[in-house]
Amino acid sequence: MEIMDAAHNESLRLALTRAVGSFRANVKKALEKYPHTVALAEEVLKIKEKAIPEMANLARQAIAAIEENKGKGYIAKTADEALDIISGLVGTKKLIVKGKSMTGEEIGLREHLEARGNEVYETDLGEFIIQKLGDQPMHILSPSIHVPREDVARLFSKIFGKEIAPDAEIADMVAAAREYLRDKFFRADIGISGANAVAAETGTLFIIENEGNIRLATGAPPVHIALVGMEKLVPSLSDTFKVSEVTWRYANYTVPSYVSLVSGPSKTGDIEKVTTYGAHGPKEFHVIFLDGGRTKLARYPKLMQALYCLRCGGCLYECPIFAVTAGHFGDKYFTGIGAVWATIVNEDLEKAAAIAYTCLTCGRCRERCPMKIDVPEMILELRKMLAEGEK
Amino acid sequence: MLLSACQSISQDVSLRLESVYEKTAMTSELLPPGLAYLADNIMTRQNILGVTKEQGAQWARGLDLPAQAETVFFAGCGYQFSGQLEALLSLIKSADKSFIGAELPMRFAQLQKKLGLNLPAVYSKVFSHGGEAEAKPLAAAVTVLRKLGIKPGYLAEKEPCCGAPLHQAGLQTKFAENARQAYGTLKSAGVRQIIGIVPYCTHALQKLFPLYVEDYDIEVRHFLEIVAEKLPSLKLRFPHKVRVAYHDPCQLARYLRLIDEPRQILKAIEGIELVETDWTKGEWATCCGGGGGFEAVFPELSGILAVNRAKELMATRPDIIVTHCPGCIMQLKDGLRQLKIEGVEVLDLAEVIAMAMA
Repeated sequence: MEIMDAAHNESLRLALTRAVGSFRANVKKALEKYPHTVALAEEVLKIKEKAIPEMANLARQAIAAIEENKGKGYIAKTADEALDIISGLVGTKKLIVKGKSMTGEEIGLREHLEARGNEVYETDLGEFIIQKLGDQPMHILSPSIHVPREDVARLFSKIFGKEIAPDAEIADMVAAAREYLRDKFFRADIGISGANAVAAETGTLFIIENEGNIRLATGAPPVHIALVGMEKLVPSLSDTFKVSEVTWRYANYTVPSYVSLVSGPSKTGDIEKVTTYGAHGPKEFHVIFLDGGRTKLARYPKLMQALYCLRCGGCLYECPIFAVTAGHFGDKYFTGIGAVWATIVNEDLEKAAAIAYTCLTCGRCRERCPMKIDVPEMILELRKMLAEGEK
Repeated sequence: MLLSACQSISQDVSLRLESVYEKTAMTSELLPPGLAYLADNIMTRQNILGVTKEQGAQWARGLDLPAQAETVFFAGCGYQFSGQLEALLSLIKSADKSFIGAELPMRFAQLQKKLGLNLPAVYSKVFSHGGEAEAKPLAAAVTVLRKLGIKPGYLAEKEPCCGAPLHQAGLQTKFAENARQAYGTLKSAGVRQIIGIVPYCTHALQKLFPLYVEDYDIEVRHFLEIVAEKLPSLKLRFPHKVRVAYHDPCQLARYLRLIDEPRQILKAIEGIELVETDWTKGEWATCCGGGGGFEAVFPELSGILAVNRAKELMATRPDIIVTHCPGCIMQLKDGLRQLKIEGVEVLDLAEVIAMAMA
């Protein structure tokens, strides 16, 4: 869909206007209830400033810890390397349940696995809708933000093979999806997830969610594979708690329903104290840390701040362009930060120029950002690189 | 660094960038034509629209502003031509809707080719008969300053262009070059203090020039700071009772942090009731869609954003919308026009203050 078609799409605009309104009110409420979050965000920024230049080392440290826990850790230099590692682990003709992962989106993980003859189910409800619609996610936290309920009813009627009325209760639609996906979790060969933050010292993944699909996807199948961007690494467990709290609070939640902490495969020593792997949870635990241009991006003094992003999604609700075009404005990453990714990570200068010159540099995203990421500053730096060439 | 990294993936783009760098960055195919046009005008004519310096200074005729003074009023080049710019943009928008079908990723060079549209040609056509340079806010600001006991000079034809759109376009080298030249001009005219009014110009002169000009020692203040300072001694009364919605220009609110000043001023004016939007005021104000020359890059999308902002402001049921930026004024008027709202005027804060002093 062209950006201007999106901009002229009234139902998209209405959906976004409503979302923006409730998001702002929710963040305000969450920050009023837990006012310490603002100072905590400043602390997290300091943690990030130190961790980002060190991320390759932190990844090695995390891998060592994960392997000590009897998991397996990998560093993928490129998206292709990550896909190779994962398809090597997965093989073909497997049933896979997947949690929502922007990093997965970044490397085209689902499509890659499907092309290799695997059956992949997105289990996040929004992502499930997007997958079944054959669409692209429009928001990092609410991928189907642009799909009205009538469209969901029509879609579900088709795939579940039973009629769901366009004016059915949303709860009934949710229940239908739950029923449909229920046995997939338990039949799946592999569960795939991302992570919101990772503690290098213990190799612990923090995965924040509300639906409970990630608990099931990472707990029920015999194998758990996690794909994590290297920028998610911070040194200690307590740092990771801080990052997580700031992330969900600025993502408009006082507290999420679930935070999973995963450091290794499932194990038990209950029979004669013999440690045995694969008790109730996965027997295998694999973590792939993706570089994919991140260490390169970290070397640009004015652009490295893009890596501080916690992906809370707050900025998107403040972007006037996003408000009328949603995910059509960006590349992997939405809005202005998308231009940084297009230039440095994906090395697509023409796409980068299109995004960089579409940013208004109005700066409202910076007001919202818990990491105070200066998008206008980055955009002007990119424009300089694009317009003048970089020496 | 970037070039070498990208050569393997896009030899074509890299080569183009290189040749662009050798000759002039203005022709970069990655630079939107609208911005390239503004930038070219700055470098060749010292104003965004490529008009003569005399046309730019016309507004001050009859005001008898001294051409030499330690403190000068910096008019910039937004207010004088907003009338023409408005006409121009509506012309472009009405010409052919499909041409701005700016698909992302849209290549600007391709866009230009596909449209067969020569923006610069359209621009210069409109400006060739841009006669009367109406600039009420500028004259109003000078009147206000004089009533406050400040007698600024005005460099008129000699006023250099701040070059902000160069910076905005990414042409930092040219911006730096222009800044050093402009600084030389200002210094040789004996300027020690500047009173700015256009947010973009004021921001460039105050925050950007020091980054590119060594030992920059001109004090730059914004018109509103000066008025706010003198506020306690002023008696202000608007001719009639009105509800006023104030729109914060991005550059004023988020770049210059002038958020309280305009509100203090508006609240001090008898007869004005300041009404505010719930979530979108001050540092949270929504961009009007002007966004530093955005209307010249994507006129149609810019028009949609103008409508959105106008809607937000109209929700407070104002009689008048007040703002303080030539770009915002143009955009908000366009938004109201598209919404077919009549009877709600968009005024510049300088005009409102002048009216309240009369």
